[in-house]
Amino acid sequence: MSLAEHEYRALEEVVGAEYITRDPVILDTYNQVWGNKLVFGEKFSPRPAAVLLPGSTEEAQAIVKTCNRYGIPFKPFSSGFEITALGIVSERTIMLDLKRMDRILEIDVKNMHAVVEPYVSVHKLQLEAAKYGLYYGVVAAGPSAGVIASACCHAGSGQTNCSAGAIERNVLGVEWVLPTGDVIKLGSAASGDGWFSAEGPGIGLRGVLRGHCGANGGHGIVTKASVKLYPWYGPAELERAGEIPALRAATEVPYNFRTFIVTFPIQDNAFDAMVEIGKAEIAYSCYQIPVPPGGYLGEGNDEMWAFMQQLDPKMMESPGAMVVVVLGANSDREMEYREKYFHMIREKYGGLLIPEMNNPAVQAGLFDASMFSYGSVRHVFRLTTDFFINPCGDATTTDFLKNLHKVARETMEPYWENGSILQVGSAIFHSMYENYSVGAHHEDMYLYDPFDAESLEGTNELIGKTMDTNGKFRRFGVPCLGAGLQFEPVHHTHQNWSPLYDNYDVWLRKIKAALDPNNVGDWGCYVPPVFP
Amino acid sequence: MAIEAYKHDMLRCTRCSYCKWIPWENFRNTDFIKGCPSVSRYHWHAYSAGGKFNMALSFLEGRIGYSDSFLDVVYKCHMDGSCDVSCKSVQDIEPLQLMQELRIKCVEDGQVIPAHAAVIDGLRKEDNMLGKPRSERGKWAEGLAVKDLTREKAKVLYHAGCQYSYDEELWPVVRDGLTLLKDAGVDVGIMGHAEMCCGGRAYELGYKDDLDKYAARHANIVKASGVETIVTPCAHCYQTMKVNYDKIGKKLGVEILHITEYLDRLIKEGRIKLNKKVPLKVTYHDPCHLGRLAEPWVHWDGKETKVLGQMIVHDPPKKFRRGAGGVYDIPRDIIRNIPGLSFVEMYRIRACGWCCGGGGGVKEAYPDFAIWTARERIREARAVGADAIVSACPSCKQMFQEAIKETGDDVKVLDIIELVQQSV
Repeated sequence: MSLAEHEYRALEEVVGAEYITRDPVILDTYNQVWGNKLVFGEKFSPRPAAVLLPGSTEEAQAIVKTCNRYGIPFKPFSSGFEITALGIVSERTIMLDLKRMDRILEIDVKNMHAVVEPYVSVHKLQLEAAKYGLYYGVVAAGPSAGVIASACCHAGSGQTNCSAGAIERNVLGVEWVLPTGDVIKLGSAASGDGWFSAEGPGIGLRGVLRGHCGANGGHGIVTKASVKLYPWYGPAELERAGEIPALRAATEVPYNFRTFIVTFPIQDNAFDAMVEIGKAEIAYSCYQIPVPPGGYLGEGNDEMWAFMQQLDPKMMESPGAMVVVVLGANSDREMEYREKYFHMIREKYGGLLIPEMNNPAVQAGLFDASMFSYGSVRHVFRLTTDFFINPCGDATTTDFLKNLHKVARETMEPYWENGSILQVGSAIFHSMYENYSVGAHHEDMYLYDPFDAESLEGTNELIGKTMDTNGKFRRFGVPCLGAGLQFEPVHHTHQNWSPLYDNYDVWLRKIKAALDPNNVGDWGCYVPPVFP
Repeated sequence: MAIEAYKHDMLRCTRCSYCKWIPWENFRNTDFIKGCPSVSRYHWHAYSAGGKFNMALSFLEGRIGYSDSFLDVVYKCHMDGSCDVSCKSVQDIEPLQLMQELRIKCVEDGQVIPAHAAVIDGLRKEDNMLGKPRSERGKWAEGLAVKDLTREKAKVLYHAGCQYSYDEELWPVVRDGLTLLKDAGVDVGIMGHAEMCCGGRAYELGYKDDLDKYAARHANIVKASGVETIVTPCAHCYQTMKVNYDKIGKKLGVEILHITEYLDRLIKEGRIKLNKKVPLKVTYHDPCHLGRLAEPWVHWDGKETKVLGQMIVHDPPKKFRRGAGGVYDIPRDIIRNIPGLSFVEMYRIRACGWCCGGGGGVKEAYPDFAIWTARERIREARAVGADAIVSACPSCKQMFQEAIKETGDDVKVLDIIELVQQSV
């Protein structure tokens, strides 16, 4: 549904003709993203009516005010790497591509925080912070993930959540263009005293801003955010080698770090060991991820498959439960203590350091991957095309996650066996939040090919089981469809699951209505004020 | 291969946007992390490689058709291959090949832009990309006393290329190159007025038949002249003869070398001695056509299959060209061997180099964009403190010279041939 001429002109007046388009050639590049085939049945989701490239908060605000004047839905996004970024309810919706707002505005070294605009990627901030001996926690989605998108607008977690905070808890203030067009600042920034505290003086709305899964652009535009930085024990720039980028990695683990890939006999031992590592507060990074056999992803699938075929078959058949542990310390004594404690815990739970998984090259590669998440996109997309996640547990107890994992595994196993999804021994992503003080994040993921009819059919069947309100996942909370595939008009997640969980949607919809009285924030990846 | 052959890749582009940047593993300075000039300059996603996958799929499905903006997106691209390297750091798909096929499709359907059509008209009349008279082609070599291979025999053919043949500002470079070979005792000759375009730029613009034509003509030249080696100072001619002729099944069957490769050989054999000091702090710009685009072509005829249920592999295994096989070390070795010279690397180098702006027909059709791209590279050279930016391609030298004319920057722009000449 196109915009009326006068509506388009009003928007054009805000950003200028160079930064607005309604050309279908351009628009059809804003509605194709992985996962679309599964959710929309084809590679295309609804085409927006226009796309704009605002360059400032003032322009973003003026766009939103224009939307209110004419009743035009809008949706902002940064990197645009998920359905939650690009999925829209209506073809009358306009999109705000925030690409031009890409500055790191401030790194406050003394107070350990940075203020950024929406198109600043996690890795860009990490590189700048490292110059000052600081670090911004990695996001598992990869180095291109937006700092603001992951911390303020969408659910996410990462490999360094244990030491560098749960991502949403690192927010120390934001500048927020509300769906009404009003601009507010949260926390100390509101009183002009700097960006050091999200809770005041000044209003603190972090829960409303992000909640559990984020509003995904459904309640305005975060145009600036301040985020916490943490100590970095490595050099400002790591020595890396490898001509082929896919194989390029740190040449060694930096002096003040150690990296281990521990194989536990059973998954429960891995869970228990991670809890103890968390309690001991010794790890810089501690998580589970499907580490490929031999730690080698290859430059391409063919190279990876060739490598796997020459491995000892035992490694392929029984990879065990692998946990990646990175220790970091300021001094030799501190490292000695941490290392000793770590090995004590490892041995207690039968964790082995298999030599093939702990040679210096694998350790250096895993260190790079743990700190900067380089391999994640390669890992989850190249192998089969797409991935999906069973309902994931978040910020919850280990016993809960153990049970969730067991049910998830039982549910997935038939699909591994019939080949609908990639047949792997372990497909867990598990990362503790702040040394388990606020629980952990857990995903049981699987890789599938949406353009293979059998794989798509099997995956849809599997998803049906996990989304069944009367199914085995009923007791594990509202399914958070991992990795940004939750699209309310298709999945009806809030609508169907809320009655099982205290009718939480009533509150969610009230928040939406209060912030957005004209309902112009596209609600496809959030919630409507009233279910249609 | 028609664009339909790349539908698999269009479907599998995830929109990770890695094509917009150099590979993340190669980030060094946050001011120099962009890889694709097109999307950096024009912002819209369509201008990235991912956007072109999207656009092509939309086109195939009949959702969009040809329009001015379609051609704008297709042709405001240097075809420099930065996206290809970054994309293939995470995927097994072929963005650059799709972009090439999109251009071929446009030409086949008569969807051409006037600036390119004029260049091709000139090429077909005069056998060069500058539309200059064929009879003047060999003027650059006047007074050099070199064998004329239309009448004499030599082991090595020195192929100047269109730009060196007609751009008088570049003549000192191409003449120096030939002089270095002669002085080293190389049995070398030129085709003079009978030399002709390699067809590479025409192919890049989408004129596939012209590549076929010039590949066949060069095969005749090789046969008639009996040369064993073709040496060229032009990176694009080198890439065309080495990679594209092979790609279309018309390998010349003789050794194809860029002059840097041949000079390196002569230096190692002691036939060229780098004696004189050149007191300059220089940085080296990797020409796209000598670097990532010069990776040898890999022929593959097989099928996609699955293992472990859904893992996509190929039977037989397919070796993707990921940019690592270009000529990167040889020019650097030469530069490092020049006494008195101080060498400093930029932040985006080798397979991750930023384009000079001269490729893909952008210079001919959108000169302001070409200059914009070149200025960005000059900025990077300055950021690492270089007094001179050295390259190994006439297009790069010309673009950088144009850029500094606009900016007033006093950075020196040199070809590696000039450096060597200064040192012998």
